[in-house]
Formats: sequence, structure tokens, C-alpha cells
Amino acid sequence: MSTARLTAMGPMVALRDLLHRAGIRPRLRNREAGLLLLVAFSLLIGWLSLASYQAGRLTVGDPSILVIYVALLTGVHVAFVMTGRRTDQVLLPVTAMLGGLSLLLMARLPQGLAALSLPGLDLGLAPLQLLWISGAFILLALLAIVVRNDNWLREYKYTWAATGIGLLLLVFIFGPEVNGSRLSIAIGPVSGQPSELLKVILVVFLAAYLAENRTLLARISTRIGPISLPPLPYMLPMVAMLAIALAIVIVQRDLGAALLFFSVFLTMLYAATRRRAYVALGLLLFIGGALVLYQLFPHVRTRVDIWLDPYADPLGAGYQILRALYAFGRGGVLGTGLGAGLPQVGDVPAIPAIHTDFVFAGLAEELGMLGALAIVFLYGVIAERGLRIAVQAADDFRALLAVGLTLVVVIQAAIIIGGNLKLVPLTGITLPFISYGGSSLFANAIVIGLLLALSDRGVEPPPPPSSGSRFGFGRAGAG
Amino acid sequence: MIPERDHDRRDTPGAPSIGSALLRVGLSLALIFGGLSIGLGYWQVVEAQSLTADPGNPLVQAAVRAAPRGRILDRTGVRVALDEGSGADRRRRYPYQAMAPVVGYKSLIFGAAGVERAYDAELTGLAPLGPGGDVLRKFLSDPYDPSDVHLTVDLRLQQAAMAALAGNRGAVVAIEPATGRVLAMASAPSFDPDVVADPTAGPDYVAGLRDDRDAPFLDRAGQGLYVPGSVFKIVTATAGLGSGAIRPETSYPAQPEEYRTGFRVEGFTINDSERFVQLDHPLDLIEATEVSSNIYYAHAGLDIGAEAMLDWSRRLGFGAPIEFDLATSASQVTDGSGPLSGFTDRVELANAAYGQGETLATPLQMALVAACVANDGQMMQPRLVRQLVSESGDTLELQPAVLRQVIDPAGADIINRAMVAAVEGEFGQFFAGGARVPGVTTAGKSGSAQVGDSARPHSWFIGFAPAEQPRIAIAAIVERAGFGSEVAVPLAGDLMELYLGLPEG
Repeated sequence: MSTARLTAMGPMVALRDLLHRAGIRPRLRNREAGLLLLVAFSLLIGWLSLASYQAGRLTVGDPSILVIYVALLTGVHVAFVMTGRRTDQVLLPVTAMLGGLSLLLMARLPQGLAALSLPGLDLGLAPLQLLWISGAFILLALLAIVVRNDNWLREYKYTWAATGIGLLLLVFIFGPEVNGSRLSIAIGPVSGQPSELLKVILVVFLAAYLAENRTLLARISTRIGPISLPPLPYMLPMVAMLAIALAIVIVQRDLGAALLFFSVFLTMLYAATRRRAYVALGLLLFIGGALVLYQLFPHVRTRVDIWLDPYADPLGAGYQILRALYAFGRGGVLGTGLGAGLPQVGDVPAIPAIHTDFVFAGLAEELGMLGALAIVFLYGVIAERGLRIAVQAADDFRALLAVGLTLVVVIQAAIIIGGNLKLVPLTGITLPFISYGGSSLFANAIVIGLLLALSDRGVEPPPPPSSGSRFGFGRAGAG
Repeated sequence: MIPERDHDRRDTPGAPSIGSALLRVGLSLALIFGGLSIGLGYWQVVEAQSLTADPGNPLVQAAVRAAPRGRILDRTGVRVALDEGSGADRRRRYPYQAMAPVVGYKSLIFGAAGVERAYDAELTGLAPLGPGGDVLRKFLSDPYDPSDVHLTVDLRLQQAAMAALAGNRGAVVAIEPATGRVLAMASAPSFDPDVVADPTAGPDYVAGLRDDRDAPFLDRAGQGLYVPGSVFKIVTATAGLGSGAIRPETSYPAQPEEYRTGFRVEGFTINDSERFVQLDHPLDLIEATEVSSNIYYAHAGLDIGAEAMLDWSRRLGFGAPIEFDLATSASQVTDGSGPLSGFTDRVELANAAYGQGETLATPLQMALVAACVANDGQMMQPRLVRQLVSESGDTLELQPAVLRQVIDPAGADIINRAMVAAVEGEFGQFFAGGARVPGVTTAGKSGSAQVGDSARPHSWFIGFAPAEQPRIAIAAIVERAGFGSEVAVPLAGDLMELYLGLPEG
């Protein structure tokens, strides 16, 4: 009995010894493996359903996209196992499910919606999205495996801030104008939206700044007579950074990004200080700013007017959102099934921008309310994991960074889902991991990668608080 | 052992803990995501059906072009609207022009009207009939299941009503009192839906009719607002008996004298038209109805009071559009501008009691009043459609529905007897005797409504037959055609006689 077991264990033990000698200490991730299996199984069912509907008989069609994607996920998982870090085991499967839903949708949309032509290679919508997703997951894996130290983030906050704003200015000066917005910058055949990257940079800056100054921000007030205001001198660098970022995205007419930046800023400020006055003041500023923007910019007015009454111009301005509502209505509780939604004339889909701004409406039609609720739930899981990572973080910077990173993904999702559902005015912003587009996928992959790295409980402890920077600055202004 | 970091976390001294703030952040996120889920439920469950049937929906538009449309049939199964041809040549045909006020039209150029509009989604096949039908249907390869619409209207009665109105402006509404089923709904002048739906001749024809000052596209039966005149006395009688303000034997001692001098209300004199009936005693309710005494009803109206008058007319359907398959206008007892519960003063109230003042009523409303009396005081939901039968065999029966018991059966019976007297009585027959259906006790009330600028009054009649077991209630009005007895009374009598003579079914 024991001899037999020893013989069976022999090769495993030998393999482990071999790996140990090479400096590799694998650590099994059973929970992640199980969840990924579930994801792969769901996607297989989805693919089967889609291909069978399109062919009119039971078939898997051409499963190469699915096969490549599952292979990619397996690769990331194995890499996580082999490197042996004790990171969160839920985030990867959740992200993988969202990416898989994206591929299912892209595979059934007209492939001409996006195209990349290289010599000898023409890629349509789905292969391109697979390309971006693959890149994104590799980036995510690299960050989750390699990042063990956060000094490069916390020590250079102003450098990061300058880089982010520089990137945006670059677009502002060189970017082409599309639909009245300057959002992208093109280098050769590849174009990108730096505002996606800026949101990550902004979170890093805010986390570093707030971690350093939050005692002062929470305790000290500037008094003007009986009115107690936040300590203005300490707010200044942070507010200036935010203002520059907001000004640029607003001038670029990227209202979705502006809304995202502002809400993430407010939430992080609250998390760092627990002062409700900040939130109230922020909301007042938001309302004031929104009114000013409404008066100042015709395109803001148009957006709001469409939101209030899309039927006023059903074939013009209100066309897109009405089409989305019809899609929701047709989907009903159970949905039409993958491939069966979206009546289209030729290669023109029923909802303009269905592969970017309106992916949620497209999926809600085909997967129904239950499917759409599942998608909302997945973002909810990201929120729960992210906040858990923040609570367990080793110091303030890591906690605030984890909160901010979580928020940029889930609030962005809420803004665009709310826009699709006509709960808030529509702003052009992507649904993380589902919308088509490399910039968004890469930026959100960085977010999840960093969150995974932060979740590792075996990582290097943070540097000791440097009393000079924290209290020196404070004393100078408190007197 | 790696220590749990949350136990030895370096919290900044003096700063609030981040952990407890995070709990609130998490709760806020949960609220936001809950809101999103509610939004999803709203569009995908609550609004799903109406979005799917919205005329702007590309699905609907595609179905309108591609799928054959259901037919519309009359009470006996005669096709009154149907598709002809196929593919690009397919067009809608309307073999019976008389059905125009009910059926309306469906045109790719002009949209839809009438039942074609009200039941557009069902005719196109986008609205499923069975419960849960929408859940299952979209899994089928052909998601459209057009339904045939079976009307309650009898083509023969409708044709007779339209023929009787020919050359005049006016309307006729006939209802089966026990079920609320509309048997005829005629409006004149009218139009030919078969030409409207004709892709070549349609545009010129419609342009011409739109310029017509007699408004042929207006459904006078449901939307025409007319001064009701004496037919409104049935509403006043209902209010009086219902509120208890008058009883069958109620009489006004001064009334015989006032017949000669006029009844003065705050300086305004109400007269009864000169009758050949000598009055030697105060009239009771039935006699007053028989001879259509304005003075009696003015007294009654003042006794009932503004509040109860409004309340009881509202129970009969006044004051709001009637819920119906087609669009309807709201009938009114007063325009509501005055201080006396909407009435300007007691003069207006007294005048309203016999259908002048600011009273306005649609023919449909007055037909419902007659049907309510005929049905023992119980008002039924008026319906134009009896059942829907889809191509795949699903059937939806629209069962008769009670709107409300307006007045108790005893009260209704008194009004019934008064209306019989108004048609068959010794004096009544001079006014409304022309409505009598041979061999059948007939009940009714005629009216000659004074219209400000016209020498000739609107000619009105409402009634029902047989009085003991009413099978048809009717309202007829011919605009500016003269006294009730001259035009509307015989017209309605002929239609009731025709209907009662039809073979059952």
C-alpha cells in the first residue's frame, strides 16, 4: 500500500525537486482553476449556441477564436501557479468571463466594424479584439507576477502626473477630430485613447498624495468666519492636477472620462478623510459645473436633451438611444439568444457604435435581463474583490491605490451601463473588458494586474512612513 | 508563517481608519449597481412589450413590410379589411366603405387610423396573445404571428346607419346593453379607406379630404362634442334618483303656473316650448320626461345641486375621455370655469339640467347612458373587438367587463319606464313616437339642442328596445337638421327595427 503510493508520488516529487532547484516554487490555485473551468465551459456553450444559430444546425463552427482564448487563459493561470504568488484567485476568472463575452459579441457583429490591414494580413473585428485581449491579458499577467514593490509608483507621483497630462496634450495637438471629439492619437496603423491610461495615472497620483496628506485633510479646516472649509493649501496640488485633467478632457469633449475622473476623485477623497463635507462640496461643484457646461457647450446640451426626450428627434439625435431601448425591450427576460438579436440591413447594425458604446445593449438583447444582470454582477464581484484588497492592504497608499483602481473599472462600467439604460445622459466611454478597443483593454488590464499584485500578502512590506514629508509640510501650513 | 497584514497594518496616527470608509464606499456601489439592475428590469420587463410594439421599432417596420397583416372581420365573419396580392404588390383592401369610421385605414404613406391603428401590433403579429407568449415566440424562426381582429360591429347595421346619415353631418352609435359590444359606430361625412390605402390614388384623395371643412376624417361618434339638449335629461334623472334629491313622485307645485309665466332663476327665464298638451296639475318625473319639460328638469337640477350633478354625471362617464378602442373626447356638464363646483351660477346649473348651458356630449357617451339604463343601471365597458385569433391558432376573447353599477336597478327601472312613456305615451308619441319598433316596447328620449348660431337645432335621439329585455341601445345625432322628432327619431327607430329583425348570430 505505502509502496504503491510512493511509486505514484515519485514523479511528482521529482518534478517538484527539479523546479525547486531551478528556483521555481509553484503554488496551486484551485479556486482560480475551478472558476476558469466554469468560464471556459460557459463560453463553449455560448460559442455552440452562436455557431448553431448562424448555421441552422448543431455545430461549433470555426472555434479557433475560442480555442486561442482558452489557451491564453490557461497560459496565464499556469504562469500564476508556477510563479507561486499568493494573489487573489477570483479577479482573473471574472475578467476572463467579461473578455469572453466580448469575443462572443464581436464574433457575431459585422466584421467590417473594425479592420487592420497589414501586408499579407487582414484582420476583422473579432480577430482584432482577440489580439487586443491577448495583449491585455499578457500585460495583466506580467504586472501581477512582476510587481513586488510599489516605490516606483508612490515616489514619483508628480512625474506620473506630468506624463499623463503630457499624453493628453499630445492628443489635443495632434489627434484627429472624430464626432466632435478629439480622443485618439494615431501612430502608423495603431491608434490609442490616452484618456484611458490617464485614469490609471490619476489614481496612482491621488493615492500617493492622499496617503501622504490625509491626516491634515481630515483634521484641519480653513476658517472664514463661521464657515469651516477644507484646508485649502493642502488641497491645492491635488485639485490642480484634477482640474488640468478635467479641463483637457472637457475641451476634448470626452464627457464620460470627465465624469469618471471626478467621481473617482471624490470617492477616494472620502475614503482617505471620511469627511462628508468633501462629498457635499464636491456634489455642489459638480452640479454647478454641469450647469455651466450645459450653458457653454452645445454638444453637452444635445446630450442632455436627447437623454430627456429621445423621441423629439427619433431619426436623428435620439436614434441611437432609442435603438438601444428597443434592443432591451426585445431581449426581455431570457433574451433572443446569441446571434438572434439586432435585425440589420446588410452590414449596418441596428444600433450605431454597438461594438464600443453600446455593447451592453447588444448583449442585453441577446442574453436577456438575466444575462445582463449577470454582467452587472461580474462588475459587482470586481468591486467586492477590490475593496477587500484595499481593506487588507498593508498601508494607506496601497489601500487607497486599491480603492481607486477598483473604482475606475466599476464606476466606468456603471456610467456606460446607466447611459445605455437612459438612466443618465449617454457619454462615449467604454464598458471595461467588453467594448472593442485596445486602449481601454490595456488600461483596464493594468488596473486588474496592479490589483492582483496588491493582493499578494507575501509581498515586500511598504517603506516606513517618512515623517519629514508628512509632518514637515503640515506644520508649515497649519500655523 | 506569513502574518496577516490587516492585523499589523500601519495606520497613520491621527487619521481616520480607511476600512470603515470603505464599507460606505461599498454600500454606495451596491446602491448604484442595484439602481442599474432596476433600470434593466424596467426596460426588459415592464416596458418590454410596448417597446417591441412601438411603431418606430425597426422590428415593427420590418414586420409591416414583410409579414402579411391580419384581417378585420365583422360580427358575422365578413371580411372588412384584408391584404391582397403578395410581395411588393401587396396592399390593403377595404371592400365596405361603410366600415371606415370603425376600421380606419392602414397606409405605408399615411400611417394608420381606427381599429387598424388601435390593434396595429396584433394585426402585424408583434403582440403575442397568450400569457408568456413573448418569452417563447422570439425563439421561433418566424417571430411574427399576425392576428385576425373580430369586431363586435354588425356590417348590415353599420351600412344602414351610414346610409341613413348620408348627405348629413352626424353620428350613430349602437351598443348591446348587456355586454357593451358596439354594434354600429357611424360618422358622416366619411371617407373611403380603400382609396386612402391605394398607393397611387391615395395622396391626392387624402389631400382633398384634409381640406374639406366638414372634416371627413373626424370620428364624430367618439370625438364629436355636441350640445345634447333634452337627451341629457336622462343624465339628470339618473343624478336625481341616484342622489335621492328627487323621487318618481316628486313634483313642483309652481310648475303649471310657470308653464305660462316662465321659471325665473336669478333673472333668467326658463320656458317650456309651447305644447299642445294642457297642463292642469304639477308633473311627476315620468310625465315630465314624457313631455320633456325643461322647467321640471331645471327645478330638479337645482334640487340635485352642482356637486351631486357633477358626481353622478362622472359616474356615467362625463368629465374624462371614455376608455375605448378608439380615441374619445371627454364629455362635460360644465366647462368648469365657475365658482359653483365649476358652474358659473345657478342659471348655468338649471340650464345644464336639460342639456343646454355648457353641456357637451359625444354620441358614444349618450349611447352609453341609454345602454346603462337599459342594463339595469350597470354600465359595461364599451368594446369594438370581440376576439383576436392568431395565425398559429392562439385565441384571445375579450370578455364583457362591468365598468360600474351607476344606479340601482330600481332607479334604472323608473328611468326605463319614463323613457317608454317618452316614446309610447299618450303625449310622448308626438315627440318620439317615430322611434317605435313595431311589436316591441320601445324606450327613448328625443332632443332638439339649440346651437347658438343656428336656426335649426341638432336633432338627437337616445333609446333602446325591447324595453323589457333590451338588445340594442342607440344614440343618433344629425347636426343642425331640425327637431329630434323630425330626423334622429325615425332614423334610430328604423335602425333598431332593422337590428331586431336580423337573424340571431
